[in-house]
Amino acid sequence: METLLEIKDLKVSFDTEEGKVEALDGVNLKVKEGEFHALIGETGCGKTVTGLTILGLLDNNAKIEKGQVLYKGIDLLKLNEKQLQQQIRGKEIAMIFQDPSTSLDPIFTIKEQMFEALDNNSDLTEEKKLNLIIEELKKVKLPDVEELLEKYPHQLSGGMKQRVMIAMMLSCRPSLLIADEPTTALDVSTQAQFLKVLEDLRKETKITAIYITHNLAVVSEICDTVSVMYAGRIVETASLREIFKNPQHPYTYKLLHSVLGVETKIEELQEIPGSVPRLINPPSGCRFHPRCEEADEICKIEVPRMVEISSEHFVACHKRVIE
Amino acid sequence: MKSYILRRILRALFTAFGVSLVAFMILHLAPGDPVKIMLGPYATEENVQALRARYNLDKPLHIQYLTWIKNIFKGELGTSIRYNRPVGELIKERLGPTLILTGSGLLVAVILGVLFGTLAALKKNSILDYLTTFQTMFWLSIPSFWLAIVLLYIFGLKLRWVPIAGMTSFSSTILPVLTIGLREQAWFARPMRAEMLEVLSQNYIKALKAKGVKYEKIVWKHAFKNALIPIITMIALQLPWIIGGAVVIEVVFSWGGMGSLLVGSVLSRDYQVVQTILLFISIAVVAANLLADILYSFIDPRIRTER
Repeated sequence: METLLEIKDLKVSFDTEEGKVEALDGVNLKVKEGEFHALIGETGCGKTVTGLTILGLLDNNAKIEKGQVLYKGIDLLKLNEKQLQQQIRGKEIAMIFQDPSTSLDPIFTIKEQMFEALDNNSDLTEEKKLNLIIEELKKVKLPDVEELLEKYPHQLSGGMKQRVMIAMMLSCRPSLLIADEPTTALDVSTQAQFLKVLEDLRKETKITAIYITHNLAVVSEICDTVSVMYAGRIVETASLREIFKNPQHPYTYKLLHSVLGVETKIEELQEIPGSVPRLINPPSGCRFHPRCEEADEICKIEVPRMVEISSEHFVACHKRVIE
Repeated sequence: MKSYILRRILRALFTAFGVSLVAFMILHLAPGDPVKIMLGPYATEENVQALRARYNLDKPLHIQYLTWIKNIFKGELGTSIRYNRPVGELIKERLGPTLILTGSGLLVAVILGVLFGTLAALKKNSILDYLTTFQTMFWLSIPSFWLAIVLLYIFGLKLRWVPIAGMTSFSSTILPVLTIGLREQAWFARPMRAEMLEVLSQNYIKALKAKGVKYEKIVWKHAFKNALIPIITMIALQLPWIIGGAVVIEVVFSWGGMGSLLVGSVLSRDYQVVQTILLFISIAVVAANLLADILYSFIDPRIRTER
């Protein structure tokens, strides 16, 4: 499979009142065409920032220090706002967000907002656009589509809004979808329904996705490859099977074992001691070392490099490098 | 929706009634006697009593109030003691100029305020933003009567660009309208800036960008309209201040509107005129608030579709 998107050594910082926050520190990520690539990690580890950087949607106080975001060979970081808007957003890469209740403009109808996405990305006639919109909304299994079109966002449930969002984004026929915790704000039954929709869409459209989440159950349902992020760096990348069967990084291991499953008992749960470090003054060396049981001197001094330990399984940990 | 509007109208009527009572009481409890002012210090007791009886001023207060209210419903607004003419006639003459003044003042204020506020938000932390903060603070810190006098002095007396008083031509309306507009726009510019910034930081703005909508369209179609909704309420809330401010400005510019009529009537304790004008103004304010509420619910689909 060919690489659709490649992030190389991406460094992003934020100017805040408390100081400079190094949100991303050398992120490397390869997303292959057609795959669902999960980006997992605790809150505040830089997953969303990674997604926003790809589309150039970071807030004004963010600064891209270095790195490349290569999409089909083009460095997106070199494009200006106008080029991103005209060439990339919507038609090439689209994004859906965590909170569907705030993702739609409250004072316009669903129809108006669906049309808007198409107006910027296709030359179809009005009639064909409407047909396409209806078709897309039916694809995400929304009921009474004609009626729905005339409604305002507040008249829809969270799950419906998220499905409207995904229909809206997919109507532009992007090659890559960035889904930023799309099910986190939904209740469990709605979550399952949403994932089903996503899976069906995937079969139909062959779309590639970066799926940002901290929900491992969701990851095991729909993703092929998993990248684990910790404090602004990617610490491990492997296929879904490898990650679950053979986690290498101590953080990945802990993350997998801190999840409550149907069969796990509370006593068996492992909590990760400490919390995600604040990135104003991040730990030196491997950023996980203050919370890692295996850490020794080198972990405190040197940043571990990403190493391929078996086919398509990469890990950044001093303790896992076979000399 | 209908019952909502009906409820609001009923409440508005109550407010207007309350205002009429308060206006009446304040006026009649204040010291000063219109009859004595009219007849001068050497009037005989006999003449004073006769005139009092003629204007119903010898009756107890509650009777006077009830008579006034009763007559309003009959369409009789009473007679001015000072002018010896029906109050309705006086107000009719003065209503037009006041509406022109406050209406144009408000229009200028809203246009300037919304424009400055929006631009300041779009160019946050730029020189334009700082200038907007400065100019709004500047106008808000200056008393309007003083501003009126300074403008008159510079443009009327020194430069002679506009007439110094009266309402003879279009050019004579410029200064009074500007006095109201410059000051009141500051009230709209600051909240408009805040609203605009608030809306621009919303998630749906990011989502709009993510689907490839043009920046200009995001700003003017989505952010601007969303930010404007609360400003509409503000306009109605600001109306009493504009009307109140216009009273003073009418006097400074010798503008023959209700404001200058009101001030003259207060000075001569012309009860009938004062209480009728106060009632008029209060009804106008209550009506404006009501209108804003109804308008608001028409513009904002979240309210429109709920009821």
